Amino acid sequence: MNKITSIILTIVFVIVPVLARQSEQSQGLLTEDYSTAQPKVRFAPLHIYLETCNLLAAYQFELKATAGQIKIVGVEGGEHDAFKEAPYYDKAALMKERIIIAAFSTGRDLPTDRTRIATIHLQIIGDAEPEYELKLIVAADADGKELPAGIIFEKGE
Amino acid sequence: MTKSKEHFDEDMDLRIPSKLSADLNALFEPQVGIPPEVDRAVMDRAHKHLSPLQSDKRKRLRIHWDWRIAAAAAVIILAFSLDLTKQPERTTERLTLSKTQAVDIDRNGRVDILDAFKLARHIESADRTETEWDFNGDGLIDRSDVDVVAFAAVRLDKGV
Repeated sequence: MNKITSIILTIVFVIVPVLARQSEQSQGLLTEDYSTAQPKVRFAPLHIYLETCNLLAAYQFELKATAGQIKIVGVEGGEHDAFKEAPYYDKAALMKERIIIAAFSTGRDLPTDRTRIATIHLQIIGDAEPEYELKLIVAADADGKELPAGIIFEKGE
Repeated sequence: MTKSKEHFDEDMDLRIPSKLSADLNALFEPQVGIPPEVDRAVMDRAHKHLSPLQSDKRKRLRIHWDWRIAAAAAVIILAFSLDLTKQPERTTERLTLSKTQAVDIDRNGRVDILDAFKLARHIESADRTETEWDFNGDGLIDRSDVDVVAFAAVRLDKGV
């Protein structure tokens, strides 16, 4: 047992966790593969906008893919400070095609008119352009009163 | 008798000669100084005899420290691979049917984000709260109970 052995042991202790982590990550996400057997994979954000005529304090919507193959890989907050933090969503929706997202703010500084409320990061598999169904479940003002609102999405790069 | 006695009767000097005395002293005098070449030879032999034992001891200490360093490195690497600095994510809490009805704070027959919003406003304005709103059972009605309601609202298997 000498210095070389201790160096070898240290290297083993370094490599094993790194390899284990890499194999975990490669199981979840498909990497771009240049062989013809593997489908094309790309990542793209989907920006969700809400349009209201009053101050928006709470919202909830559902998004699902109706065509194409997608997996939801992340959810981000909106542009206004009131909704900057990541919204509530079910973690079970990750790596699936359907998600329900909601958030609220009890602050006084609230957005109005058109505002980006969330961005959903998607993994798109294959060449077919996916299609989405976006449904606004509820939008409300600071008193909790439901607001009429329009919801749209924009595909990002 | 007298002649022989004369030999012994004479005034004899019983003291030993000084030269003899000096010689005898030198002979039996203790050797205090060790010749340098003898000293060197003895030290060399002692060193040769003892140095394998010392190097074994040093080797054992080195091995001991090597294992400690390797173990410490492994713990550090494991800690980083576990990513212990990450804050725990909010998790979705599964509710029973009775609790699902209880989280319908505004009693409109539907569990959605407005129930969580209403509870949050109650808590922030320090309004009277219902004891049944302690959804996580920690004895407090606070933001963590609001989270329980919000997560119930966004559950995929809820069917809102």
